[in-house]
Amino acid sequence: MTSWQNNRAARDARIAAGAGLAHGKVVEASDATRLLEAVIRPGDRVCLEGDNQKQADLLSRALLAVDLSKVNDLHMVQSGVVLPEHLDLFDRGVAKRLDYAYSGPQSARIARMLFGGKIELGAVHTYLELFARYFIDLTPHVALIAAVSADRDGNLYTGPNTEDTPTVVEATAFKDGVVIAQVNEIVETVPRVDIPADRVHFVVKSDKPFFVEPLFTRDPAAITEGQILTAMLAIKGIYAPYGVQRINHGIGFSTAAIELLLPTFGERLGLKGRIATHFALNPHPALIPAIESGWVRQIHSFGSEVGMDDYIRARSDVYFTGPDGSLRSNRAFCQTAGLYACDMFIGSTLQIDLQGNSSTVTASRIAGFGGAPNMGSDARGRRHPSEPWLKAGAEADPDSPAPLRRGRKLVVQIGETFGDKNVPLFVEKLDAIELAEKLNLELAPVMIYGDDVTHIVTEEGVANLLLCRTAQEREQAIRGVAGYTDVGRGRDRSMVAQLRERGVIRRPEDIGINPLDADRNMLAARSIKDLVRWSGGLYAPPSKFRNW
Amino acid sequence: MTAPLSHIAPAERARSTSFNEASARTRLDLLLDAGSLVEFIGPEQREVSPHLEIFGLPEQFDDGIVVGHGRLGGAPVFVAAQEGRFMGGAFGEVHGAKLTGLLRAAREIGSIPVLILLDTGGVRLQEANAGELAIAEIMRAVMEARSAGVKVIGLIGGRSGCYGGGGLIAGCCSALAVSEAGRIAVSGPEVIETNRGVEEFDSRDRALVWRTMGGKHRRLLGAADVFADDTVQDFREAALELIGLIGPFGLDRLKAEQGRLADRLRRFGACQDAVDVWTVEGVAHAETVPELPADQFIALADRIGRSSRDAR
Repeated sequence: MTSWQNNRAARDARIAAGAGLAHGKVVEASDATRLLEAVIRPGDRVCLEGDNQKQADLLSRALLAVDLSKVNDLHMVQSGVVLPEHLDLFDRGVAKRLDYAYSGPQSARIARMLFGGKIELGAVHTYLELFARYFIDLTPHVALIAAVSADRDGNLYTGPNTEDTPTVVEATAFKDGVVIAQVNEIVETVPRVDIPADRVHFVVKSDKPFFVEPLFTRDPAAITEGQILTAMLAIKGIYAPYGVQRINHGIGFSTAAIELLLPTFGERLGLKGRIATHFALNPHPALIPAIESGWVRQIHSFGSEVGMDDYIRARSDVYFTGPDGSLRSNRAFCQTAGLYACDMFIGSTLQIDLQGNSSTVTASRIAGFGGAPNMGSDARGRRHPSEPWLKAGAEADPDSPAPLRRGRKLVVQIGETFGDKNVPLFVEKLDAIELAEKLNLELAPVMIYGDDVTHIVTEEGVANLLLCRTAQEREQAIRGVAGYTDVGRGRDRSMVAQLRERGVIRRPEDIGINPLDADRNMLAARSIKDLVRWSGGLYAPPSKFRNW
Repeated sequence: MTAPLSHIAPAERARSTSFNEASARTRLDLLLDAGSLVEFIGPEQREVSPHLEIFGLPEQFDDGIVVGHGRLGGAPVFVAAQEGRFMGGAFGEVHGAKLTGLLRAAREIGSIPVLILLDTGGVRLQEANAGELAIAEIMRAVMEARSAGVKVIGLIGGRSGCYGGGGLIAGCCSALAVSEAGRIAVSGPEVIETNRGVEEFDSRDRALVWRTMGGKHRRLLGAADVFADDTVQDFREAALELIGLIGPFGLDRLKAEQGRLADRLRRFGACQDAVDVWTVEGVAHAETVPELPADQFIALADRIGRSSRDAR
């Protein structure tokens, strides 16, 4: 007779194999590798939790140390390839195949290993896309996750950095997989239950807290006057005319400048309450002055940020918090919110081509996508109207009858024409295409496709691509704000002048901004210490950001 | 805070301008009596470094230092300000010669104080020997000027700190004013880490860097006599205060300084961390010193901090 519960039986056998090492569900850190050898089978799909912030670092070290005769050829399905151990797994032969979303600090090594054939690549995803595949064709057999604390039953408290955990556990535990959590401490009662105990099979107590990277802290002291100018152009040239209230910001210095200009420049323009009230955003310290000045009504977060815990706890009107008072983040929900409930994404990139395609890939680095492609794309399934969405839709397609016209999400690329180390932002051909050719990828790793981009902001002005009617106009609109880069110098001057007359390109003076007013004194905070002061001492920056 | 800068009166600008962030020229403009700065060998003369071109590096027409004279509270002063944003304010041949010449002019006149706004990582490596020689010449010129009765005051609060030869020159000055952001030392954090290992000094632990080399520690130890909040106006007031405080200079002073430094080593030589030093000095809850706002810290320093007024 056919059995329809083979997977459940296999799961029970794995748990039984690990149970010998556990007291109840609790396993000593020194037994972690033996636990993994007992539970994981060769060729398993394994999710080793790690994203751009928190890392299940103890479990990744434990997995790296397994006996290769027991565990090998794993298929890693995880958000982040961030720790050196994540790639050591492939060097050692513990793992063979990889599907992932983000690889910030390992971007150079992962490119070398892909090129050398050490890693069999499934695909590079966005977060939301990888999460979706957890429920369709990349469901983990074993999930190795990180939490702050557990009780003896296995209820988990993830702390403010909940992030991916609920999604990973949902896909694993409800499809006959095994969930193993590393925790910083075992407690009598957890402050709140982020993951219920019946979804957690083993708990390993770590000797030190899991690693969290403060990825979203931008030191106001490093913001340049060029970035301030682009931020002013964005506020007065885009936020104000569209009345954008629901926003996701990227993590660059230009958007940090915007956050710090709201209580000064924005206030002077009388925009308080009319723009930038609701965010899908990590707890950026740079947003503290705007929050304290009453600009921001609500923020939902993908993850947390080191040093912001006490501030968030004290500002629960703004942030999502649990019954214990601490932040509850959730990457999958926040990505969905950014995709469907925000009217604008604004962020920086490394390269923009003549069609407006952008990429953060350079010839030797694959940083992955993270969340930006979802934040920076028009959601075709969106059905609720809003003023900025309808206005952008009307600009893009003035001739269709309004009831049948799709709105458009505002997708804004912001940056200086020459970026870090004077590398031009605008290029004829993206390095991503060269990389795709080199690695034989079917898709070039494009972060945001040109047809999703609605505006480009540089110190030379704002290009509104919604108003372009032909590919040629679009190219000239991009060249027209590309400054003295080769792309900018290749512009057709008369066509750029026409585009300016039509308001497709707007120079600072067209928007009523004097570039000489772009002064650091306009920032609501000019240093990390200023942010601490704004927060009333609640923000506790990590040591690497201090200069006192 | 948000009005265009040109509409604001000079004194108000000096109060609202961060010394740390301002350029060398802005610092001098706002530090001195309005409109009184007269520059020597200004950028229009294009006295650039003869060395940088060899390395294909950009030059600056003033070689990263502004020297000149002006008025402070109505009285004449000589001034020099390093531009920390050009090659980290490092000393090259021309850069150094401008400061040496200023100090020698002050020595000849004998009565006009010199303010040096130090903002430097030390010697410009590309100009190796010329830069090292410049440091030696400047130190000699400082001591000769002081011997001739000139008050030489260092003002330190720039982004590049005051490192390498700059730290040595600071040690030769009659007195120093420093802000929290200012750092004074000879070897920088990365140099120490490279030579002695990360266990000895973690250069990325910025809280450690600042409590070891930063302005608050230097003030509590007596290396700096005045602690300034980070505005140009505060540095202006500090300079005025120091000009009034500095006494005569001679062999007795140098002997007293030697005694002060020997005593410092005796008292704090066994301390492992600046917090230990502050604790030995009698600061209650020494670990909170880095968090103290300027006014509270100044009150603490006036009560507990040392000064070198009888020495140096």
